[in-house]
Amino acid sequence: MSMETLGNLLQIAVFGGLILAGALVILIWVKDKTKNISTLRLFVQIAFVPLIFLGLLIGPFGLPQNPNLGDAPRERLLGADLLGNQFPDGLSVPILACWYPNGRTVTCSVWQLQAYLFPFWDAGPGFGWGTFYSSNGLERIGITLGLMIAMSLLIGRAFCGWICPFGLYNDLMIRIRKIFKKPHLSFSEKTNKAIGQLRYLIIAAFLILSVILGSQAIVGTQLVGDTAPGEYYYSYFTAPFCQVCPMKPLCILVEVGAGAMNPLEEINHSTGVFYEAGYYVTSLNIIVLGLVTAGALAFRRFWCRICPLGGLTALFSTFYPFKKLALLRLNKIEEKCTKCGICKRVCPTQVTEVYEEKGGDVTVSGCMLCFRCVEMCPYEDCLEVKMARKTVLKSRNWLEPSESE
Amino acid sequence: MKKQNTQKKYVPELSQKEIDELSNSIKTSSQKIVAETIKRMKESDKNRPKTMKYFDEMADLFGKREKEIIEAKKSGKKIIGYLCLFAPIELILAADAIPVRINSGWYDATKIGDRVVPVEVCPVIRSTIGAKMVSLSPFLENSDAIISVLTCDAMTKLGEILTDYTPIWQMTIPRIKDSDQALRLWIEEIKSIKKEIEKLTGNKITRKKLRRAIELTQKATKAFRRLQQLRKGNPVIMGRDAMLAIQTYIWDDVERWTKNTNKLCDELEKRVKNKDWSVPPDTPRVLITGTPMFWPDNWKVPSLVEEANPKGVILADEICSSERILNDPVGVDEWSMNDMLNAIGERYLMASTCACFSSTDGNEDRINWLITKIKDHKIDGVIYYVVRGCMLYAMEYTRVKKVLDQLNIPVYYLDTEYTREDVGQMKTRVEAFLEMLTARIDF
Amino acid sequence: MISKSEKLLTITIGIDLGTQTIKVVILKDNLVLTREKAVSGFETSKVAKQVIDEALKKTKLSINDISHITATGAGVQMAPNPNSTISMMSADAKAGFYLFPKARTIIDVGAEEARAIKCDDNGIMVDFVVNERCAAGAGAFIEAMARAIEVKMEEMGPLSLKAERASSINATCVIFGESDVVSLIHKQESKPEIARAVFDAMADRISSMVHRLGVNPEVVLVGGVAKDVGFIASLKRKLGVDISIPDYPEYAGALGAALIAAKRAKRNK
Repeated sequence: MSMETLGNLLQIAVFGGLILAGALVILIWVKDKTKNISTLRLFVQIAFVPLIFLGLLIGPFGLPQNPNLGDAPRERLLGADLLGNQFPDGLSVPILACWYPNGRTVTCSVWQLQAYLFPFWDAGPGFGWGTFYSSNGLERIGITLGLMIAMSLLIGRAFCGWICPFGLYNDLMIRIRKIFKKPHLSFSEKTNKAIGQLRYLIIAAFLILSVILGSQAIVGTQLVGDTAPGEYYYSYFTAPFCQVCPMKPLCILVEVGAGAMNPLEEINHSTGVFYEAGYYVTSLNIIVLGLVTAGALAFRRFWCRICPLGGLTALFSTFYPFKKLALLRLNKIEEKCTKCGICKRVCPTQVTEVYEEKGGDVTVSGCMLCFRCVEMCPYEDCLEVKMARKTVLKSRNWLEPSESE
Repeated sequence: MKKQNTQKKYVPELSQKEIDELSNSIKTSSQKIVAETIKRMKESDKNRPKTMKYFDEMADLFGKREKEIIEAKKSGKKIIGYLCLFAPIELILAADAIPVRINSGWYDATKIGDRVVPVEVCPVIRSTIGAKMVSLSPFLENSDAIISVLTCDAMTKLGEILTDYTPIWQMTIPRIKDSDQALRLWIEEIKSIKKEIEKLTGNKITRKKLRRAIELTQKATKAFRRLQQLRKGNPVIMGRDAMLAIQTYIWDDVERWTKNTNKLCDELEKRVKNKDWSVPPDTPRVLITGTPMFWPDNWKVPSLVEEANPKGVILADEICSSERILNDPVGVDEWSMNDMLNAIGERYLMASTCACFSSTDGNEDRINWLITKIKDHKIDGVIYYVVRGCMLYAMEYTRVKKVLDQLNIPVYYLDTEYTREDVGQMKTRVEAFLEMLTARIDF
Repeated sequence: MISKSEKLLTITIGIDLGTQTIKVVILKDNLVLTREKAVSGFETSKVAKQVIDEALKKTKLSINDISHITATGAGVQMAPNPNSTISMMSADAKAGFYLFPKARTIIDVGAEEARAIKCDDNGIMVDFVVNERCAAGAGAFIEAMARAIEVKMEEMGPLSLKAERASSINATCVIFGESDVVSLIHKQESKPEIARAVFDAMADRISSMVHRLGVNPEVVLVGGVAKDVGFIASLKRKLGVDISIPDYPEYAGALGAALIAAKRAKRNK
């Protein structure tokens, strides 16, 4: 083990320890946890922004350095060299933290899935991403999926509710709407359910598209010019979803603002060519972002109802057989419920199952475990949050009016 | 304003002399009964909480509160009466009006009501009609308008009959709670009532005012829940006292009520600390469910239970003249006008466990409420109280009994009328039931 | 006078102040020493005292030998200085279970009131039903109907057994029942048939009461009306099960009270 690796491990230990200590302090200090869920959630969401974007979460994994160009700006961040170039795209985490500007620390699982899916073997120089890494393709896709499943089982869609920066952006829109004292709109139950199903269609579509586009590298013909590995548009076509994702422009904006990325030039490490930051952003990204922003101003957590990444997380935490293994669950005790309907109304993604189900496990794919319902449920112990079958939060006789304004 | 039709549609004309005679005689007897009931409450519990004094004062319907209401009316405030718990009192409070519930509990007034409706009709309704006919109730009399929610059949017609005297605002309530369109209809009703209230009072219900009103009732709920929490352990307060304290909420000033209930809770908390129980901890613990019981006359069931030999103690109930008044808070998400109105609508419609709703799961909400209360308050037996003519609660008995049998909780069906004569017969039954409970506890 | 060794035994009195008669049972160590009854009349408490005195006289005991008196019945507040009181249902349950240890359903039909009681395996009452308001399901109904067809009340039972077919009357109310009987008379029904109709109507009402609790054998019938063969036959037909009847069914309430008195006396020792 080299000194660098050791140093990185130490860093991880220090950061991990700090986060745990922080969480512990919060849990002990905040006596009535349920009462402060919303505040706590906002705190966690904001705390994660620098961690994600400035690479402080686990430290950016080392990039293969281009000897001619020296360090990319991002690499001057803390803990740049962990694991060498074994796994240079960073940890796959189910939050919209974009690979394009800040990958190599934590990376959106959607990008990794698409990029590694095809070709998953090391097809030799010029074919697929295998060219740049010393790890092999099956390892990478295995680790991506494995991490994804492990994290989904650990806290499931709480990633969406508590960590995802795009979730924070959606919440920000709610706050902006509240400033103007405008009520939010709601979808009808049926539409909302249909939208929830739509995400799986999106997942299927972009995975298939990424295979088709990935295959052109093997076949040797290009549907569109300059899309072969290493060429100008390659990074677009290997991850088709990312070119419509509304988060990409925001991520770049944040990174540029934080000084972690040069607004005008960025190194393409495979070729050594400098690109402008704007190079990554497609016009589709901007259009979708505009639509989603407008949607989020009208509907609460608009994007989170169709987000394919949330769908993937839900797939590995709310469907059989993962359902049985997932650790973080929302539980309801039937007899305590008088069906007052508060949980249904306050739910930012309009989940109705918590209200409708008789009791027991009510964690469903649409639920992003923000626990607003637990906070607002006025009946003691009716709703419970269970971590590994242990109750960590439960609804209480809420006694003070909720100060959400 | 529509011109009041002088021709009365339902009610026969009474001469002023007759009205005065009847109302004076009921008033005197009522005051005597209130005094006597409170005296009995004091006697049966030597260690009665001192802070109950405030509620005793409020319990005198022709006392302090009547004066206050008349004064408020003189100063230009509007009084808005309501008949069922579904009336959104937050809106009334937000418009600076005073909400009072006007269901009557006078036995003697039923006989006057019998001149208008047949004796088979629910006595609560007959008594309310009678009270109005002779101008008995200070709250009913001073109401500038009455919100009548079309819940059970009798209530539906009561509102119509009262149009002979006072402007009535009717609200349709859907008989199914669990559907989107039902909630939409109900929220529309709430919105139209809001307009009516604004028109009558001349005060616009603003966002800030409504928020303040909601927070006021939430604080009352908080105080109420504190009291309920204290009734979960060994009894520190007799059920009758707690029920009276809770019932005064329907005519008292909300803020003052909250303050005094908190004072009561403070005293009770001290008692818990000193292990100063009102009755021995092995006294059978009773829950009452069924039709509402209104002060002052219809207080016989709680009295019977807590004065019986062997004695029982009421720790919880599920009646809309007591715990149901305050059990559910308005849960607001965003404090926008729209969301507040939605929250009010949901609180009144969906959280209610009234038997007037029908659902394919057999009013599961009410069953759940009962099960929770039975477990929380460690109830030994349930008294299912029904007044003759209350069809809906009578019909739900079989359903409740089946569930409680499974839980091995004895339940007794006690039916009665608005009369004092059957107390002897009821006493035997209540005592037999309590003996049964004691035998079970002894064993 | 009684000997010293006997004094250690518990002697208790149970008194049942019914609507028409007052019954007294004296119990010594859970065995019946004597039974006594009298018509309650207008001065109930005076009569009650007399009945107790008479019963004591019979057994040659004085009131000081009695360790506990428990009163029951509709007129329980008129009882002369009882040590404790108990409800009729509990007394019936106690007596029924004492007389027939397998009893699970106990029916008590008295003069003005009918009751059905459900017991568990330990003889503890778990549920009960009382007839509502009108005495149409009780002994007073037979009395009124006997008057209407001009036979003695005691003769009603044997008379009804002679009936060849069943006719029906309404038993929701004594007054309505009486007018139904009159209309049967006008139809020229025979007396045995009318008598049977009366018992059938009563049994109908009582069996629907019992069905609310569930018919759990063994069914025990006590109370004054349990002496009436006509009623027993009708009730057996309606319930479809065999009915056990103790020797002195009308004393069941007093017996139960005496048994409870014994238990309470032991607890107080």
